[in-house]
Amino acid sequence: MTRYQRADPAALDELVRRISPPLLRYFGASRVGWNDAEDLLQDCWIRIHRSRHTYRTSEPVMPWIYAIARHTRLDAYRKRRRLESREVLVAALPEHLHQTVPQAAPEQDALEHLVASLPESQREVIVMLKVAGMSLEEVAKATSSTVGAVKQKAHRAYATLRRALGKDQGNAR
Amino acid sequence: MQDSPQDAAFERQLETWGASQSDAELSPEIRRKVQGILTSSLTPVKPLPSQSRLTLAFLAVFVACTVGLIAIMDKAGFHLMTEAQMASMAAILAGGGILFSLIVAWDMVPGSRQRFPLSLVLALSGFGVLGGIALLFPWRTSGAFVSEGWPCAVMELMIAVPGAAVFWLLARRGALFGGAGVGAAVGGLAVVLALAVLQFRCMFQQAPHLLVWHGGTAAILIGLGALIGEWRRDRWMP
Repeated sequence: MTRYQRADPAALDELVRRISPPLLRYFGASRVGWNDAEDLLQDCWIRIHRSRHTYRTSEPVMPWIYAIARHTRLDAYRKRRRLESREVLVAALPEHLHQTVPQAAPEQDALEHLVASLPESQREVIVMLKVAGMSLEEVAKATSSTVGAVKQKAHRAYATLRRALGKDQGNAR
Repeated sequence: MQDSPQDAAFERQLETWGASQSDAELSPEIRRKVQGILTSSLTPVKPLPSQSRLTLAFLAVFVACTVGLIAIMDKAGFHLMTEAQMASMAAILAGGGILFSLIVAWDMVPGSRQRFPLSLVLALSGFGVLGGIALLFPWRTSGAFVSEGWPCAVMELMIAVPGAAVFWLLARRGALFGGAGVGAAVGGLAVVLALAVLQFRCMFQQAPHLLVWHGGTAAILIGLGALIGEWRRDRWMP
């Protein structure tokens, strides 16, 4: 990040290569289409680029990046809501992220569907913890929240997922 | 976190899912497009100062504006207040200035650890100012409540608006994503500045006047700040 702030193109390339995949998954987990997730990723990178002077080297980079990503997602959601309130719906449904990404193992696919069905705030915490590999403290910073609130959301999400998975496995038997 | 074998299996499943998600590949065209856009405007940037220095910058402007405006304006309130009233109100308003400065400084840097939320600062400042006025000042009114009151409301507006513009210019050095939250925090800081100046200027040091014309106007101005922040969100976002 420091090299990126000093305008090193190699540092920028490395950052885009390393951080884009989990960011894309983060956007994909917000139940938007694949194309929308890619658009959000590009928008997020532009915001990261314009805000790069606000990153401090003494701080961890992930909460900073995900705080920007979170605002990008929320703004896109608000914009979509505004547009949807003005447009007439047609029969065609938008494509879904899980239909276009490489298929995972059946149990992983089931878990992905269950995660997608979680409430927005819980899904966001799960994606940051498990996909981005952030700590509770880092997620709290990225979501402008407290560690206690993040723990509570994660706990509720785990309980819902565990219950749903138990039910699924029971049905499979 | 979990003890039973089922819980351990669930945790493993979740970890595997997380790892498989983060391995997802980004299409080369998108990566090239992103890199192309960013590389074309890649210039060295100077990182923002530390959180404490940003907070101090806001506080310095707050103190300088308050002292400067009190010095050049009428000081009728200064002579009408008792020492206890003056010390208590100065402490409450200084506390509000510090808390709002901290909030605005946190808002400037994405992913900052916010040790307390804006809602708590608004509640504390509101209770502090209104409670202080209700307890410290006499409960009496003169006959000309409205005609004595509205000039104070106008004066508060005339101090708060340029104050908010100055604080907003300072805050714009960061990355403001907050919308309504940023608007309310910047507005709150400007309103505390206006309240401090008015407290020493106003010649009607009675609780009903201070609560309605000073406190009430302050609440409306903070609300307006939040509305403007939300309305102009797209304009000042990075």
